[in-house]
Amino acid sequence: MATDLIYGLLPEHLLLALILVLMLVEIFHGDRKLGGVLFTLAAAAGCAVLAVQLSNGYTVNLVPTEITIDRFALIARLVILGCGLILGICSLATSSSCKFWMLLASSLLGALTIMDSAGFISLFIGIEMLSLPAFAMMVSGDGTSSASEGAFKYLVLSSVATALILFGLSLVYGVTGSLSISVFMATVNAGGAQSIAATVIILSGFFLKAAVFPFHAWAPDAYSSVRIHITAFLASVIKAAVVLALVRIFSTIALSAEVVSVIIVLSVASIFYGNTTAIKQGAFKKLLAYSSIAHAGYMMFALIDSTGGRTEALLYYASVYALTTIIACACFSLIVPGDRDDLGQLDGAFATHPVASVLLALCVLSMAGIPPLPGFLAKFLIFKSVIASGHITPAVIAFVGSYIGVIFYLGIVYRLFSTASVPAEAGEAAGSGLVWSGVFLGSVVFILFMLVPGVFHSLLLTV
Amino acid sequence: MLNPTTVLALFVLPLAFALILPVMTERGSVLPRIVTMVGMLGVLALSVTIFVGYDGSTDPQLLAVNVPWIASLGVNFHLGVDGMNIYLMLLTSLLFPVVLACTWKTAHADKKLYLGLLLIMETSLLGTFLSQNLMLFFVFWEAVLIPMFILILTFGGENRRKAAMTFFMYTMVGSILLLAAVILLGVESLHQTGSWNFEFSTLYHLHLSTTVQMFVFVAVVLACLIKCPVFPFHSWLPLAYYEAPAAGTALMAGAMSKMGAFGLLKLAIPLCPQVSVAFAPTIILLAVISILYGAVLALRQQDFKKLIAYSSLSHMGYIVLGIFCLQQSSIHGSLFQILSHGVAVAGLFLMLDLLEQRLGASYKQLNALSIYAPRLAVTLMLFILASVALPLTSGFTSEFLILFGGFQHGLQLFNTGNGLLVLVCVILACSGMVLGAGYMLRFARAILYGKANEEIGMKDMNLRETIAFVPLLAIVVIIGIWPYPVMIKAQNAVEQLTALAAGTQQVQALPQTTTTLPIGGADGH
Repeated sequence: MATDLIYGLLPEHLLLALILVLMLVEIFHGDRKLGGVLFTLAAAAGCAVLAVQLSNGYTVNLVPTEITIDRFALIARLVILGCGLILGICSLATSSSCKFWMLLASSLLGALTIMDSAGFISLFIGIEMLSLPAFAMMVSGDGTSSASEGAFKYLVLSSVATALILFGLSLVYGVTGSLSISVFMATVNAGGAQSIAATVIILSGFFLKAAVFPFHAWAPDAYSSVRIHITAFLASVIKAAVVLALVRIFSTIALSAEVVSVIIVLSVASIFYGNTTAIKQGAFKKLLAYSSIAHAGYMMFALIDSTGGRTEALLYYASVYALTTIIACACFSLIVPGDRDDLGQLDGAFATHPVASVLLALCVLSMAGIPPLPGFLAKFLIFKSVIASGHITPAVIAFVGSYIGVIFYLGIVYRLFSTASVPAEAGEAAGSGLVWSGVFLGSVVFILFMLVPGVFHSLLLTV
Repeated sequence: MLNPTTVLALFVLPLAFALILPVMTERGSVLPRIVTMVGMLGVLALSVTIFVGYDGSTDPQLLAVNVPWIASLGVNFHLGVDGMNIYLMLLTSLLFPVVLACTWKTAHADKKLYLGLLLIMETSLLGTFLSQNLMLFFVFWEAVLIPMFILILTFGGENRRKAAMTFFMYTMVGSILLLAAVILLGVESLHQTGSWNFEFSTLYHLHLSTTVQMFVFVAVVLACLIKCPVFPFHSWLPLAYYEAPAAGTALMAGAMSKMGAFGLLKLAIPLCPQVSVAFAPTIILLAVISILYGAVLALRQQDFKKLIAYSSLSHMGYIVLGIFCLQQSSIHGSLFQILSHGVAVAGLFLMLDLLEQRLGASYKQLNALSIYAPRLAVTLMLFILASVALPLTSGFTSEFLILFGGFQHGLQLFNTGNGLLVLVCVILACSGMVLGAGYMLRFARAILYGKANEEIGMKDMNLRETIAFVPLLAIVVIIGIWPYPVMIKAQNAVEQLTALAAGTQQVQALPQTTTTLPIGGADGH
């Protein structure tokens, strides 16, 4: 038991140790570059531990009804930590303060806690630990008032979400007298007004956190007011963690017809709203924000599945989406140095930055869902379970929505390959070698996702 | 040489060459061009070997690569050569080296992006034609759009942005329903066989209800008719054909438009035979409108490029007409027309580009070409004659077979009391041949003959260009004179397809006396 407590939660312990060490480094004014190096090492070690545990088929019920390490927990933590690692490598050059790495580590720690929770208490703690450092990251080292505004909006609406989730949980407790997720599942399966109400309220809280229409209002401001690697963090790790938290709660059970119809309406609205609004955007981060609203819609779509393909589809979708967002942001920062994020900066970028342009083009085409890129396979996995569950009309409507989305993604490709003459930028931004290594690592994983789309299916099955 | 590795090499070779392009020296060097050409010729050599060795009854396992891709969903990376796609394989692998040879000296060919896009396009086109798995087919069907989009965007004419966007968005509309249909078929397989499966061989044997067949048919036909294009889904065509660079236009008209026809043969008829038979008259009507409408528009064009673009609309109409007449002869005709039109229209667009390379925009006022450049003029005339369907050219063989099959089908329907519509349509389609002769010969007269008003120093075709056109002309002549050896390669596939459709007709003929089936409404009593 004691060894399980150490070995099973080793990635969490590594992050916790990292946070403590970084505090000391900050106090003793150690080398500022040390933070990034330590973070990379800790995250890589955590990934390695998870990979070993996965291949050994290690599972343990650590704290009954509170913490469990099952296949899903291992895979989801690997996804989150892997995304965190790639994001960290990409931001090595831009973030030199230990505070950033400390906050990043605590947020990741929160995400990992969500993934191995079997009860609502640890789940709730995880969600709070995920979001709170994010507010601090948004404002730290960035004195602009717009960043504070974005962070404040996010903070306020996120608190509303927290309150909603708490309210839902209290309803669950009222019905079941237990805070265990599995007990809650049994009541949801049994039906009843109170459990439907609890489901809907908890879902609303998560929709707020994941920026699903009409709970999206914070996202555009929050995403566009911060520096690009933090935008990438919000859109990738945080979104993936929130979505996977839903998988943690609802795993593969079929939701009741009432809840399903609510989800269909909100997902479709989200897809249409995000994609149509994104067309008008002239700034990259705003565009990313609206496209992330649409992507939240696709991911929520998987909740209406009743064939048991949800876990696999959402794991694949969330990890592919997070990865493409990180690579796209890194490539954007390589093409457009500094804080400008006007899409006009991309005009004719292929001539000056061919590799970064091709990668950015591939990323946006993948987000648009053009085959054979992983983004298409992710959509395919979601829609095949939606159609197999008998919802073909909503699926076709959602296809139309994603068709609209293609317009603005193609707009980016158009800018990259347009032949407008642009003044050649004087050299590369400092530290771009580090960003390149992150982009390279990300691209390798991206290609692997394309070649082996069934990876999560087989990982979930192997015992 | 007939083994699975050859088929895999066919697909992998262009991709591999596209991937080594970026590491080569920067512009100014001919090396990237030579490497690209070597790759394309390698593909051509492989596909000619397969084509020659294939005799129509070759074991399909011998020419198939089958590797699981998403094993749990029955999505396999399954490529295979069969009677249906063997012409298309040959056409695709032939057009690419020809296109590159014709644009060898242009400024585009200096850019590695251009070469890379061509190679990726070749891979994805071959993937579309060879895939034996529905999901894989869909993946390549869509993937072809990306290189073409970037090609138009980067190397197109003045209106390239609009053209590229129109092309991409328009042709993608069809994919919305197509993807839903693909997934729906997978779900049907899940319900009927107990596991997800997208292999064509499995899907062909599912028992689909009329509603499902209807949905799949509408989705597939919409996607294919847009791709061809056929009236009324052709409005992307003039802009895209006009604004794309010569290589893009030649490939779009020569190879990409054939994806639509191929989709009809590979998906629509075998997957939903009953609904196909029921809706055949409607599609035939659209095809004939397309033939006549394209021909009339072509008659009115002053611009050569637009003229050929509209003539292409007309000729694609013949292909669709032949397919939906569901007779062995007409489907053979359609397959030949795929090859013949692919070669002829690509040849015509490339000839126009040769003129444009020599004279710039003023080639539009050109006349008396036969005096300045006799070899060019003769080659151009041969392509024109193939388009006009002069006997002994491939155009004649294919259009004759299509119309012959059409009359058979029309008379059959008329004699069994199923109305005159198809017969009338086929008779109207014949007049399309007359109109075709009208606009093509007008084009020939304008450009080839007439008084040489001023001395323009224009070079005739050089050796590189001549060699490039020889294989295209060879196909035109071989199919025109002695089509039989080529035809037997597709015989089995065509037989199976028509047997499927004929079986359906018989099954439906029985209850027709007692109940009213949807067929009655569709063919317009």
